[in-house]
Amino acid sequence: MGDILGLVAKRLGLGLIILLIISVIIFFMVELLPGDIASAVLGQGATPENLAALRKEMGLDQPAIVRYLQWLSGAVMFDFGNSIVTGESVTETIGERFANTLFLATYAAAIAVPVSIVLGVIVALLRNTIFDRVANVATLTSISSPEFFLGYILILYLAVNTGMFPAIASLREGMDFFELLHRTFLPALTLVLVVTAHMMRMTRASIINLLSSPYIEMARLKGTPPWKVIVKHALPNAWAPIINVVALNLAYLITGVVLVEVVFVYPGIGQALVDAVSKRDFPVVQACCLIFAATFILLNLAADVGAILTNPRLRHPK
Amino acid sequence: MTKKKDVLLKIRDLKIQGYSDETWVDIIKGVDLTLHRGEVMGLIGESGAGKSTIGAACMGYARDGTRIVDSTIEFDGMELTTASESDKRALRGSRIAYVAQSAAASFNPAHKLIDQHTEAPLQYRLKKRMEAQEDAMELYEKLRLPNPQEIGFRYPHQVSGGQLQRAMTAMAMSCRPDLIIFDEPTTALDVTTQIEVLSAIRDIVDEFNTAAIYITHDLAVVAQMADTIKVLLKGEEVEEAPTREMLENPQEDYTKSLWAVRGFKSPQRHRPTDGTPPLISVRNVDASYTGGEKVLDDVSFDIYEGMTVAVVGESGSGKSTTARVITGLLPPSKGEVLFKGEPFPPDYRKRTKDQLRQCQMIYQMADTALNPKVRISEIIGRPAAFYSGLKGAALKNRVDELLDLIELEPAQYYNRYPPELSGGQKQRIGIARALAAEPTFIVCDEVTSALDQLVAEGILRLLDRLQNELNLAYMFITHDLATVRSIADEVVVMQHGKVVEQGPKDEMFTPPHHPYTDLLLSSVPEMDPDWLTTLLEERGVDNVGDAASAKIDPNDPKVTGASA
Amino acid sequence: MSVFVIIYYTLLLGASCLAAYFNKRSAFLLLFSLTLVSFVLGIVGGVPALKFVAVSAGLLAMAAMVSYGFREFLVAISSVNMAKELRTAPLTAGFGMFVIFTYAVAGIFAPIIAPFGEAQVITSAFAPADDTMLLGADQLGRDMFSRIIYGARNTVALALAGTVLAFFLGALAGLLAATTGGLFDQFLGRMSDVIMSIPSLIFALLMLSIFGGDLANNTTSFWLLVGFAAVVGVLMVAAISESSIIGWLIGLAVMAGFATVFAGFMLTIFNPSEVILVLVVAVIYSPRVFRLTRAVAGNVVVMDYIEAAKLRGERKWYLIRREILPNSTAPLVAEFGLEFCFVFLLIAGLSFLGLGIQPPTADWGSMVRENATLISFGELTPLIPAAAIALLTVAVNFVVDWMLYRSSGLKV
Repeated sequence: MGDILGLVAKRLGLGLIILLIISVIIFFMVELLPGDIASAVLGQGATPENLAALRKEMGLDQPAIVRYLQWLSGAVMFDFGNSIVTGESVTETIGERFANTLFLATYAAAIAVPVSIVLGVIVALLRNTIFDRVANVATLTSISSPEFFLGYILILYLAVNTGMFPAIASLREGMDFFELLHRTFLPALTLVLVVTAHMMRMTRASIINLLSSPYIEMARLKGTPPWKVIVKHALPNAWAPIINVVALNLAYLITGVVLVEVVFVYPGIGQALVDAVSKRDFPVVQACCLIFAATFILLNLAADVGAILTNPRLRHPK
Repeated sequence: MTKKKDVLLKIRDLKIQGYSDETWVDIIKGVDLTLHRGEVMGLIGESGAGKSTIGAACMGYARDGTRIVDSTIEFDGMELTTASESDKRALRGSRIAYVAQSAAASFNPAHKLIDQHTEAPLQYRLKKRMEAQEDAMELYEKLRLPNPQEIGFRYPHQVSGGQLQRAMTAMAMSCRPDLIIFDEPTTALDVTTQIEVLSAIRDIVDEFNTAAIYITHDLAVVAQMADTIKVLLKGEEVEEAPTREMLENPQEDYTKSLWAVRGFKSPQRHRPTDGTPPLISVRNVDASYTGGEKVLDDVSFDIYEGMTVAVVGESGSGKSTTARVITGLLPPSKGEVLFKGEPFPPDYRKRTKDQLRQCQMIYQMADTALNPKVRISEIIGRPAAFYSGLKGAALKNRVDELLDLIELEPAQYYNRYPPELSGGQKQRIGIARALAAEPTFIVCDEVTSALDQLVAEGILRLLDRLQNELNLAYMFITHDLATVRSIADEVVVMQHGKVVEQGPKDEMFTPPHHPYTDLLLSSVPEMDPDWLTTLLEERGVDNVGDAASAKIDPNDPKVTGASA
Repeated sequence: MSVFVIIYYTLLLGASCLAAYFNKRSAFLLLFSLTLVSFVLGIVGGVPALKFVAVSAGLLAMAAMVSYGFREFLVAISSVNMAKELRTAPLTAGFGMFVIFTYAVAGIFAPIIAPFGEAQVITSAFAPADDTMLLGADQLGRDMFSRIIYGARNTVALALAGTVLAFFLGALAGLLAATTGGLFDQFLGRMSDVIMSIPSLIFALLMLSIFGGDLANNTTSFWLLVGFAAVVGVLMVAAISESSIIGWLIGLAVMAGFATVFAGFMLTIFNPSEVILVLVVAVIYSPRVFRLTRAVAGNVVVMDYIEAAKLRGERKWYLIRREILPNSTAPLVAEFGLEFCFVFLLIAGLSFLGLGIQPPTADWGSMVRENATLISFGELTPLIPAAAIALLTVAVNFVVDWMLYRSSGLKV
């Protein structure tokens, strides 16, 4: 077991280092601006006095490395400073939104993961039949469509034409859980459509890959019935690829969420990021980017750790 | 050898098709096969002859992308081609079992050996779990696996290749089937390990009077195992006869050619006595791959101009690493390589064009040695242009000359691409590429082991002729002692990265040997069907294979004497 | 029971029976399951649902016919070897090729095809479709159809430029890393790992937030272009001249000249904010290309013929050009298609968010955004540019899917 713990620790360490490097990139890319944030904020019409005052207020008179360390130590405690547009605390602005986004992503994942894995396995078992081909075309189409295309189609048919679901996923205080699910159904469904297609294809590919291994043929030649071949021989080895598929797609979901939130005017962190980018509100942009990147890395890390934990070679060392 | 003579398996007009390029192509074109109870039949043929496909078909099983058409496969009175899937399944594992080529890939990595072993008996409710496990241990013991009580509770990756292959044979025996299909069970193993597996398989098949189909490309192996031999060529049967009859008196030309291969023998050359320095001299070389253990340990030997030195040993003995040190791909951590008495820069990137030219290489796999997207004219022409600066008509003449030299018609091959050629032709192109540099020394890395025997012989004859004409020195890396006998002048035996013995060929093939050389020499199967029996009688079952190499006494005078 | 319903079921059942009679198993399965589904649909949705099914089936059949025709057309006009390859293309790939061809024509001949100018205001906002305006007018009263045609030129050209640049950088670095190995290889590998662990859309937003506003001007984008070209150039020089100092000097001089010309050329085609978009996309996607090229070339580099060439004393540039590239074209071409889809979707997404291609340039992503309000009136208009995006990516993906299948199938 020592080996596994070592490997997992190593992987976690590596993830942490990557996150650190990314924080450096995110922070210092803003430093690339000619002049500094202050002049970017105030624009060309700024007087030197105003500039100097703003610089002092933002601590820009200190060297970059000091400010980076301050920013980073703040970020670790979820304190990302103040917005330069509204002057409010970034954490307060995006904190609740982040929770909303997580809810939406979880909602979509809760539907997409089981559905796509089951469908993926079925399609893998039916490979090279007409159903497999139809599924191939359908999933390819779904993957190729931009999220806003799927989103607007759903709005048109399920909201505007039939009125089954609200077109705008606004949230308010004190909604009960089912109303919440109902209101956020369309954005969740959009995400589900895209992610399910991806996940199905990847699940199919990894199952087919697995089924062509010699030990599966051996199991068949031992007279093992088909269901047992799948359950006893394929599944124990399929965990690693499936975990990988799920984690990768959840990471993908994180990006997809930005566009979907805009389409459905959903109060999530994605919209906050887009607003901040167009207003050039750098502290908010930095915070959002760091949060997205951290989630992304965390999910990839989970996939790696999952793969390590389910690998029989590592679980039972020589 | 008295065996009951009722028919167990009867195959008539077996046709199997494979799907490629959008159409169904015949792979097996009407093969008949009759196997009696307790009989062992050897299926032998070159790669692509369709041996394994027939093996799978004996279980009524068609691999993905293949199908069985218009055939009858009758197992113990039951027609398999029309039987339902569940009926066929009921036979597999219980009455017909299968032993695959790669045991390491064919055991499920997620389960313990014994759980995979007992799967079939439990499935067919032949035994209770405890009984099945005890039976497994008994079988492990019969197959001479170490720690039979405990080994089953390990996972496949915790057990060595030769042991896994025996564990798989035990698994096939778990339901005491009537028939076992052995699909090249020892091909992936070293010769010294192979012998253990062979003797174990033979004993257990004899003991339970199981019928078997033994698929291999190695004549000498099949001669030990089979009662009858069936020779296949490109999906068709060539001939079938009892083993001794087949060995003594083959009928068909193709079979005769297979048997006759070992005839070629080049006269042995001797070192010059006038004191000229050796062409290549490897001096006390140690080498290791980055961060790894020492792969070569104090290796020294000389290669004289115009002579062939064969380097033999099992996989992992350091033969190929030695070649990499000489060519400069792997600079040694200690020691040096001398060329005509002058030190060769250890890294090939530091060598001059002329030094690089002197030392060429011919590879084992002609498929990966030739760029599939480059014309033959450029493959051979590039070294000529690169080293000698030939251009235009002079270059074309040189390429034609080289093609002539390797006995290929220039006009016909000039503009073709490697994938259009056969294995032997590709290997000849590889030789021509080496010759184009006008070298004095060529490393031949297992150049014949991927080729069919007849083709291999042609290559050996060609190399020998070229050596006489161009006064080339060869370093011949091989694990095949028959090749050594036919072409070598001197032999270097390597084990665990050390040279255990070296000397002129005639001395090496006459005792007394270093114990490892002895083990290696004695482990190579011979065409004589009694070879294995005699060997086991002489040495005893515990004195072959890994067990024997573990027993080599490091203080044996021959051992200490040889490394000096 | 209307006549339509009767004909509908008669046709379906008849076709199923025919398929069953002629032993076309898969066709029968498809037709009969469609019949069964239609029963349910008919009961739930009534005649309109069945009509919808019929129309979709008709459209599908038409697409299939077009694809078949186009494939046969290509087979007929191409050389023997090409034709042999093309015959293996499934209908989906034929459809993809047809769509790509149509888009190419629309993009290249946009000014001739489009009845109105790109930014020409001809009527009131959101005017409905009539004889002169096939698809009606947009939020400023410009002709929707003309803008879609121009969009084919703008959006696709931008995505193509981004993909090409990403490929130059990524593939060159990948090939060089594979042939050089060692620390250089490790360093590039780690670097691409880091860049790839930021989600692409997020990374793009971060970079656009920085290079947006006043910074999207001619000077900045010129120097960014020169910088990009310089990085590619240094890699190129490293591959060609290796350790010769004179080679480096000449190479760097040539490279500097080339970088300036390239930057000037790019600025004549695209406006500054577009240049920045292209560069951002190229930087984000080059690590992906790098990783793939490194993997593909890595499989080739271990071949004995590479070892033979190295031992002969060949230079890296020869290895890359003559030995590795000819053996990696198939997967690289497929990857180019795939990357194009990603880049295209990313640019469309950014434009949709209002951060990509800026008005008044006609662009599909921003057209969706501009007309989005119409959707709440049940209008299809905003879906048309979105569908144009989806159709192209679907088409490219269909072709890539076939090519990937071919290149993996040939290996086995």
